[in-house]
Amino acid sequence: MPQVTTERLKILRGKIYELMELYPSYQAALLPSFFVAEEIFGFISPEAIGEISNVTGVPAAEIRGVASFYAMYKTKPMGRHIIQLCTNVSCMIEGAYDLVEYLKEKYGLTPGGTTPDGRFSLVIMECIGACGTAPAMILDTDSYENLTKDRLDTLLESYK
Amino acid sequence: MIKITIDGIEVQTDREITILEAAKQVGIEIPTLCTFKNLSPSGSCRMCLVEIERLSRPQTACTVKITDGMVVRTNSEAIMRARKAVLEFLLINHPLDCPVCDKAGECILQDLSAKYGAAAGRFKEGKRTNPVSFEDPVIVRDMQRCILCTRCVRTCDDLQGAFAISVINRGSHSLIEPFSGGRFDCEYCGNCLSACPVGAITSKLHRHTYRPWYIERQVETICGHCGVGCTLTLQMRENTIIRVIPDFEKGLNSGMLCVMGRFGYDYTEHEERLRSPLIRKDGELVPVSWEEAVEFTAWRLKELVKKYGGGAVAGIASGRCTNEDNYMLQKLIRYVLGSNNIDSAARLFYRPAVSYLERMFGQGITANLIPGIANSDGVFVAGGDPTTINPVLGIAVRSVWKKGGKVFVVGKSGGLRSNIKHELNHAEGAGALVLTWILAKVYEKKNFISENSIIDKKLSALKVPDMDMLVRVGVSPEALQYTADELVRLKNPVVIIGPETVLYGNGSKNLFLLGALNYVLNGRLFVLMDEPNTQGCLDMGCSPGVLVGGRPVELETFGHKMENTAGMKTPEGTGLNLFEMINGANSGSIKAMFVMGENPVFNIPDKKKVESALQKLEFLAVSDIFLTETASLADVVFPASAWSEKDGTYTNLERRLQRLRKGTMSSRGRADWKILADICKALGMKESYTDVKSVWDEISRISSVHSGVRYESLIGRGGIWPYGGEPLRGIEGDFEVEGLEDMPELPGFAQSGRVILKEDKSLIHSSSLSRYSPALMGVASEPLLMINPVTAQSLGLSDNERVVITSDKGTAVAILRADRGMPEGVAALSNTFKDNGFRSIVGYTIDPTLKSLNITDRVVTIERAKQL
Ligand code: SF4
Ligand code: SF4
Ligand code: SF4
Ligand code: FES
Repeated sequence: MPQVTTERLKILRGKIYELMELYPSYQAALLPSFFVAEEIFGFISPEAIGEISNVTGVPAAEIRGVASFYAMYKTKPMGRHIIQLCTNVSCMIEGAYDLVEYLKEKYGLTPGGTTPDGRFSLVIMECIGACGTAPAMILDTDSYENLTKDRLDTLLESYK
Repeated sequence: MIKITIDGIEVQTDREITILEAAKQVGIEIPTLCTFKNLSPSGSCRMCLVEIERLSRPQTACTVKITDGMVVRTNSEAIMRARKAVLEFLLINHPLDCPVCDKAGECILQDLSAKYGAAAGRFKEGKRTNPVSFEDPVIVRDMQRCILCTRCVRTCDDLQGAFAISVINRGSHSLIEPFSGGRFDCEYCGNCLSACPVGAITSKLHRHTYRPWYIERQVETICGHCGVGCTLTLQMRENTIIRVIPDFEKGLNSGMLCVMGRFGYDYTEHEERLRSPLIRKDGELVPVSWEEAVEFTAWRLKELVKKYGGGAVAGIASGRCTNEDNYMLQKLIRYVLGSNNIDSAARLFYRPAVSYLERMFGQGITANLIPGIANSDGVFVAGGDPTTINPVLGIAVRSVWKKGGKVFVVGKSGGLRSNIKHELNHAEGAGALVLTWILAKVYEKKNFISENSIIDKKLSALKVPDMDMLVRVGVSPEALQYTADELVRLKNPVVIIGPETVLYGNGSKNLFLLGALNYVLNGRLFVLMDEPNTQGCLDMGCSPGVLVGGRPVELETFGHKMENTAGMKTPEGTGLNLFEMINGANSGSIKAMFVMGENPVFNIPDKKKVESALQKLEFLAVSDIFLTETASLADVVFPASAWSEKDGTYTNLERRLQRLRKGTMSSRGRADWKILADICKALGMKESYTDVKSVWDEISRISSVHSGVRYESLIGRGGIWPYGGEPLRGIEGDFEVEGLEDMPELPGFAQSGRVILKEDKSLIHSSSLSRYSPALMGVASEPLLMINPVTAQSLGLSDNERVVITSDKGTAVAILRADRGMPEGVAALSNTFKDNGFRSIVGYTIDPTLKSLNITDRVVTIERAKQL
């Protein structure tokens, strides 16, 4: 996890100023600035929230409210790679829960948790639109379908 | 005229109100959860559903406005079913264990569930769980109980203006966070706590010891922590306060309180409260009987007056005591002992500021209404943070911003930082520069034609600094220009003056600049007042040159009003002020002193000097509720009644007279007026007083501003200055401004390694009293040194480090806190904590014009403390 340093906070500040130019209101710059914070700190850290609040003038509490509303933001420290595994009806029928169980046994990875080596985090998703090729997941920004335990192993192997 | 029918009853109004309000007018009750006093409707709980004819679906009564001819039903069977269904939804997640919840008995959800009965739900899924959070001081959060009505969030945002909490997460995982003091701006006012309809936000102070039916008595009284004078209710069980709640119907605070008012009541129960009178025998203070203490004091005072004359006696009054207490002290000092040497800590800021402004504009110029601030379209603040010195007044300033008005702060913006557009935070010592520029610009732009030639002449004599100088003290041209432009546009401005205008730098000039600005803007003036009754203390004649009701001593020497109305002979000549008393004690001209409810050793700078002066006295008597730094030097100590244990009156900074009412029936001490009356009696005073009312009666007979004001009639707005009486005098003529024509100097910037120290007023503490409140100490338990992060870094110090601050006058230890609001090279320390108070480590001089406190020796070094 990247350390919080004044240097990094300064970079964040600069980026938010740039973003604010692009939107009609300060509030509108919040969502994209969350991605910047994640890029810099790995997640939307309390320090980042403080900095975003300082720059945009949006109260820190409100920023936390917004950041926590969306499932796509990382509001706590996460692993280097994020597995978003669907367990909705189709995937469930096709064995998504077996995969969840497998991840836990083999990698020590529980839903919402992170592997001890900080490599993977697991997020349970509600339908990612791949019902025809269930079970499916999104790993970072790539999607994978027709998953099996073996395929999962091979895939994870390629994400260091 | 709009006519509607609700449940067959016709309602007529000429305003477009909501169905809920209309129903209330005719006594029809519609259950609500998310609606709350003073909050705008949100329509989120769906509890208030009603049927409207010709509309197919039920509507929320709290949001729908009435229209002519509307027919509403609130009691149909469908509506009953809807209410039951809404409750069933709420109870899916809400626990059903009312007996362990502190809200039980006054919980709206509980009441409604009992009434509309939906306790047995049909949902089989488990309830949402959230652990109870004890993370915060004073507040307990139990978010399992939250029904997401957002009353707390709207209170915090719209009324308190702290923006400390919001709904986080989503759907059924939603809850209210984050509070967590400091980190997320929570001010611990607890106003969200009174807004919460259920037990999701409760007070930690009475956790599991409070139930509504335990309340034996409720007493309406006035907060004793600051000069706003908020109305609050004490809920009593036996002899203790179980809790303090706001009163939404009465008082200038409309149900808002601050952390001190709501939670800071527990100092009255502190184990160190004095219980018995003490007399120094063989160097030790030992408990004695009341009779002995009174007799001894009277005997000593009499003896010393005989030996040295009345002029050798002095009294220090207190803005923490009631009008009646202060009246009785001045009666003792002036009329029984024959000395005009009476003063109080009002001398440290409030009194010189107000009396200077009154000399400019006439008496009562600062007597304006606090609720009126909210109706202003712009507020100009200088010399202190209203949100920490007078918090509920500070909220009114925030509400100006909320309504679209402008807020300008010269200096650190502190609690108003979200309400300003531009910082006008200047280098230490450059306040007069900034004010002069703003005043000159506004004067020029307004094209002002004054009818007051004295002020006019002075205005034209001012030397205006150029922009260059201002930039050098750290203020941006943009901010200045904006301020001047916007100020001229204001229609109904307010100017608020805080203590720093007088404490540091040229007091008379700063006051002149602010007074003149207010004059040119045609605004209303407010002077911040940190104690609940500083104004009353002055009205009661606890000032060397002024008698009860504000009559100057000089007038009395030929007018003889006191003698004619009360048979009391006023000693001649102006007495000594607070500083002169200390000097007098030091030089030996003052031999005896009575100090009531004040702690000069801690509150006047140069602790060593004050301490040694008081030690030289032949006789020192102190009445107080704790053995303070001052009391421990005394020859006699009287245990006084605390704020919740006495009746009387306070006069707040608006000069509103309000009644203080006794909550606790038995006190550990006695009311100060009673102690003093007993001493007066032992010295031969004729009058006897049965109760505080009889003291008030005497005051209202003597004081021309209080004349005819009856004690019983002192409720609500009945008692606003000039009460029942007449104002005393108008503008007196010319007044002095020190260095009027001088260009304000550029401050000398501190040499490297040294920092300029200021006094910090924390929101949590009110001078040295709050250190005895476990609740307030729980929020802020240690002295903090607020400092600019860059300055801290240049000193090699980091956040949360323990540091030693050393000045020429002493040292203090505090925890370093980086604060971006502080200008570079400046640090601030509060005057709260024992042995580490700001005032103990600085010195002072007397302002030549104002005769007020001017703090010196503020250059300090700050070093990392040695490991313990
Ligand atoms: S205590 Fe006051 S500041 Fe804190 S969250 Fe509640 S309303 Fe807001
Ligand atoms: S904490 Fe209380 S006031 Fe706030 S949303 Fe929940 S139930 Fe409403
Ligand atoms: S603002 Fe002043 S009077 Fe009101 S509650 Fe706070 S301390 Fe008490
Ligand atoms: S009171 Fe009307 S919706 Fe809550």
